This record gives sequence, structure tokens and C-alpha cells, in this order.
Amino acid sequence: MKKEQPNSFVIAEAGKCIGCKACELACFAVHNRDNGVAAAVGTVTTPVIPRLYVIRTDSFTMPVQCRHCENAPCAGVCPVQAIVQEEGAITIDEDRCIGCKACAIACPFGAISLYKAYSNGQEHKQPYLRERLDGRLERKTRVIAYKCDLCHDITNSGNIASGEIAAAAAVNNSGTPSEGGGEPMPACVSVCPEQALKLVSQSLGASRSRKAAGLRL
Amino acid sequence: MTPNIDPIIHIDEELCTGCRRCAAVCPVDAIIGEAGTPQKIDAHRCVVCGQCVQTCAAYAAESEPALTSRAEKLRQRGQLSSVREPLFAAYSTGHALELKEALADPKRYKVVQCAPVIRVSLAEEFGLPFGTLTPGKMAAALRLLNFDRVYDTNFGADVTIMEEGSELIGRVMSGERLPMFTSCCPAWVKHAETAAPHVLDHLSSCKSPMQMVGALVKTYSAELDGVAPADILSVAVMPCTCKKFEAGRDEMNVDGLREVDMVITTRELAQLIKDKGIDFMNLPDEPFDSPLGKYSGAGTIFGATGGVMEAAIRTGYELVTHESIPNLQLDFIRGDEGIRTATVQIGDLELKVAIVAGLKYVSSILEQVSDGTCPYHFIEVMACPEGCVSGGGQPKLLLETQRKAAYQARKSSIYRHDSNQKVRKSHENPAIIKLYKDFLGEPLGHTSHHLLHTKFFSRSVKGELK
Ligand code: SF4
Ligand code: SF4
Ligand code: SF4
Ligand code: SF4
Repeated sequence: MKKEQPNSFVIAEAGKCIGCKACELACFAVHNRDNGVAAAVGTVTTPVIPRLYVIRTDSFTMPVQCRHCENAPCAGVCPVQAIVQEEGAITIDEDRCIGCKACAIACPFGAISLYKAYSNGQEHKQPYLRERLDGRLERKTRVIAYKCDLCHDITNSGNIASGEIAAAAAVNNSGTPSEGGGEPMPACVSVCPEQALKLVSQSLGASRSRKAAGLRL
Repeated sequence: MTPNIDPIIHIDEELCTGCRRCAAVCPVDAIIGEAGTPQKIDAHRCVVCGQCVQTCAAYAAESEPALTSRAEKLRQRGQLSSVREPLFAAYSTGHALELKEALADPKRYKVVQCAPVIRVSLAEEFGLPFGTLTPGKMAAALRLLNFDRVYDTNFGADVTIMEEGSELIGRVMSGERLPMFTSCCPAWVKHAETAAPHVLDHLSSCKSPMQMVGALVKTYSAELDGVAPADILSVAVMPCTCKKFEAGRDEMNVDGLREVDMVITTRELAQLIKDKGIDFMNLPDEPFDSPLGKYSGAGTIFGATGGVMEAAIRTGYELVTHESIPNLQLDFIRGDEGIRTATVQIGDLELKVAIVAGLKYVSSILEQVSDGTCPYHFIEVMACPEGCVSGGGQPKLLLETQRKAAYQARKSSIYRHDSNQKVRKSHENPAIIKLYKDFLGEPLGHTSHHLLHTKFFSRSVKGELK
């Protein structure tokens, strides 16, 4: 039987993060090529919806995002099985998502948010559910769950067409090779000016913490 | 327009997270505040380069309902209500709203000029790859926006070379006030006035290409078109936020009329085009208007660091030696951030030149000038890291990791545009030859002095107290 590899995940070092939100912006950019988002801010026509959230407290700031739990509780509660394990990541099939919020409540990290869905830069309307707006009945915009997918769709059609993301990732990979051993670097990790974010891939995480434990002995 | 009062660069306290990335790119340490708290800009020091605007990533998120409404923020920022892009903490005052109203006024004769680099970056705002060259679509879009005349700052760059080249030769021959610094970057000029008033004598007295075109629009071309200068609305599209400041300087007027009435950035032009519902991608190419729309390759390369120097040498060489310059492409001058130096053999003269890209690198040269140890004859200074291609009003990037690639592509597009021009030297541009023959007479002549040259004023704190 193939040795089970735990999922990778991205984690921030609170001591390094300066709260600039560049990671949020980058996350939004690479996930919205299909919504017409190219390299320039001027191409953005939808609200910025990131999949990680920079939080602030009095003493620190850092982004919080999905841990890609091995026994993902979000998936357990999803009534339509929209959340699946896929190539070492927990991902949401946004087409299947019914916006029931169960996952958002179940997630111990608050990694999931519900927002309007967009396609081709326009709000994505539902076929049946209507809402009363100014006395008229209009098709309601779909609302779906968004969360980190480790930039799985970094090679979606829009990104391939623009050729820009691949290039950016390549530059970064050659400049500072990913610690995970050649895995493509998620957008947030690539752009962080403080190197506060790390892609923790399992072999690394385990050997590191064992080494650290060993040193403490 | 009130740029004299408005500091142009602002930080929205509601949005600023206090990350201080803006402070890290600010070349003059004008951003003050403690980490984690909203920052403030010292308007006296600030050179209005807009690099902080390019860097800031703190945006107004949907999930923060406590913020002032988007509509109100757009209004405060002078932006069109149709703008859909996210709003960031660091921003520059917009003039698109004001311009939109002015363009609808049938009584005004509306003239526009575009800086060299707008044509290599505007398309990025519509999703095209970095550096896509679109001079023809840009001219067509400006006509659809209701401009009566579409002119070009490149023409002003050619005039600048004629004036500045002659000035340099004069100074080198007489050995006076050397080194000579370029004066076309308004952020550099403001910095010299604020932080190094002792070098003001060393700045070329030339106005920038934008102001030169502005001055010619209200004189030479007004005469050709038979319009009263007072009826003209003179607009410039610039990659630079500091051009808004420059246009508002008191001395930038011809006989009491502002040379440039309004400046918008590359981003603002894109917003106006979208606001009007113009299908930019499918516009047919249109030419610029004559005569202030005819330019040489030398005028084009002003947009990249080293470009002014290269253009000046192409013309200076031939004015001094009366021989054709052996190599048009001066690769030793081309580069990026930092200081580059070279020695150029022009006849018997060994011309020593330096190029400063990024204002933070200028201080060592300023010290040399004070000490009297500066070995150069001619120094080009541009405040932004790679010249106008990286200006504060240029398309803003979503991913910091793409900055290098964007600047590179914009720059090579400019150089490609130059090498494809039939005329690549300013003094061979037929429209320039005609301008001097019919109107200006000679470089540095009486009319030139009146219209195209200026004085600089100390803004050191003592000087400012009046
Ligand atoms: S969304 Fe939350 S519960 Fe689901 S895998 Fe990620 S961290 Fe775990
Ligand atoms: S990009 Fe880095 S420094 Fe900036 S908010 Fe994200 S994690 Fe923090
Ligand atoms: S203005 Fe922007 S870049 Fe500067 S400190 Fe504030 S959030 Fe950071
Ligand atoms: S505009 Fe330029 S000089 Fe002014 S604060 Fe911003 S980076 Fe500094």
C-alpha cells in the first residue's frame, strides 16, 4: 500500500507578518483569471474575495487559512459532498456548493467564508430562487463557500492564457526553491514581502519538528 | 484645478494597516508613523512620485462594513463613479471626474498630449500583456473621448533635446555651471528644490516636455488652428503623479494662461475609456494630429531611464561634430535602478555622463557637486526606479512578483518603438525643423526663452517661510 502523505498547508509566522494584505490580493488575483482579472488592478471588476484572511489583534497580525485537515470536518458536514480531498488538498467544488454554511460553522479555523459567486466578471445568478428587490422579483445571486485550495487552479484556463502566473511562479521557484521540494508555490507565499508564509509540506514539517524536539533533549 | 494646495498623494486612514511597505519604497523618507498605525505623509519632503501608491496592497474589503461608502470614497478621491477596481489606502488625487465634465463643454477647444510611455502600458488596464504597444488605439480612444486635437509629449521631448542639447554644449564650451542636470522629471526637480537648493543652478533651465507642449499648444498650435488661447483646455496624460504638481506650479504659464490645465494618469485615462463604454481592444489605429503629434525615436525613449541621455547624445554628437553618429543605439546607457556612468567621445570632447535611476541614489552625486569633485558633465536623474515606465500613475500590479517583468516589457517595447521609427534623431524630425523655422527661430533664442525655459526656487524650509 502506498505510504499515506499528509496534506500540505500554508502557515504564517506572526512575528514576521506586517499585515500588508499583499497575500490576500495575490490570492484573489490568481483565482479570478476567469473573471477577467489580469495583471493590472484596473482589470478588476468584482469585489476582492481572497481565500485567506489577514487578522489583527493588539499584539500581532497574520493571515489565517485552511489547514487542509486530514479528517476535514468541513467535508463531513457538507450535505452535497461539495468538499473533497484532491491531490493532497481539501477543495470545494464551487459549482456544487449550495451555500448552506455548514462547513463555515464546522471549520475550527474560520477558514471558510461565504460570498457572492462571479462568472465572467458578473454576479452569477441562480436559475430558480428569486428575491424581491424594489418591488420586483429578480433572480438571486448565488452565494458559495470560498477557501484556500493551495492554488490548485493556478493553471486554470485564464492563468494559462495570460502566461503570467506560470512565469511568476517559475521565477520564484528558481530564485527561492520551494521547501516542499519542487511543489508549485501558492501565490500568497510567492508575494509575501516578509517571507512570513510557508508552504508546509509534510516530510518537511515532520522532520523539522523532530529535529527541533531532538535539539531540546 | 488646485494642485498647488492639494498634496496629491494621500493615505486613507481608514484603510492603512501601518505595514510601512510604502515607507520602504519612498525615496525621500516622507512617510511617517509607527508600524501598525495609519501612516502620514510629510508633504514638504514628499516628491509626489507615487511609488507608495504603486506598492500599497491594503484595500477596502467587502467584509468591512464600517468603512465610509465606496461612492463617497470615490468622490473624495476625484474618481469617476463608474470605477470598479478596489480602493487602496495610498492613492493620488484624481482628475478624471473634473476632466469628464470639461470634455462635455462644447465651448472649449480640447487638446491632449500623451507621454511616451502611455502607449506601452495603457493596454495592460484592458488585460493585454505587459508592454503591448498601442499608440494608434490610444489616439482613437482620445478622439472618442471628445478631444479636438490629439498631440504628443514625444514632440515636446524632441524640442527638449534641441534646447537642452544646445544648453549643454554651451555650458561645456564655456565650462560654466557643470555638471548640468536634466530637469524633465518633476519629482527630481522638487527634491532638488527641497533638499539640495545649492544645485539648482546646475539644473537645465528647460521646462519638461509636457510643459513645452503645453506652452506650444497655447501659442504655436493655437495660431495654426485659429483658436483663442483662452478657449483651449490643455490636458496631459502622464505616467506620473508628480506631473499634476508640476502643471500647477505658478511659473508654468504663458502670458497668464496655464500651459497644462489638467493632468490625468495612465490609470485615469483607462478609467475614462471604460466609463464611456469604448471597446478599446477593437479600436482601429488612428494617427496623431500634426504638427505637435509628429515625433522621432529619440522622443520616444524619454520614457525609460537613460532615454533622455541617449536622445541628447544622438543630437549633441551631430551638432558638435557635424557628422553622422556612428551608432544610434547606445546600449551602455540602457539599464535599470542605480547609477550608471559612461564616457562618450564626441569629436575632441570626452563627455562624461551619469544616469541616476531612483531618487535614493542621487545623494552621493549631490555631495560630489557640493564638494566640487563631481567628474561628470551631464547627469540624467529620474526619481522612479526605472524611469517613467515605473511611474506612480502607471497601471498598478496585483502581484508584486510581476513588477520586474512589467518594467522590462514596457521598456523593451519603448526601445522597439524607437528602432521602428524612420526618424530617430530629434533634430531630423521634420515637424521640429519647421517649428524652429516658422516659430521659434533658434534653440535658446528669444521665443524659446520666453516659452520653454524656467527658473527653479528653493523650497528648503527657510525659503518656504517666505
Ligand atoms: S476548511 Fe477548515 S475544516 Fe475544512 S479542511 Fe480547511 S481548516 Fe479543516
Ligand atoms: S503578504 Fe506576508 S506580510 Fe503581508 S499580510 Fe500577508 S503574510 Fe503578512
Ligand atoms: S499606506 Fe499602504 S503600504 Fe503604506 S503603511 Fe498603509 S497600508 Fe501599508
Ligand atoms: S509619493 Fe513618493 S515621495 Fe511621496 S510619500 Fe509616496 S513614495 Fe514618498
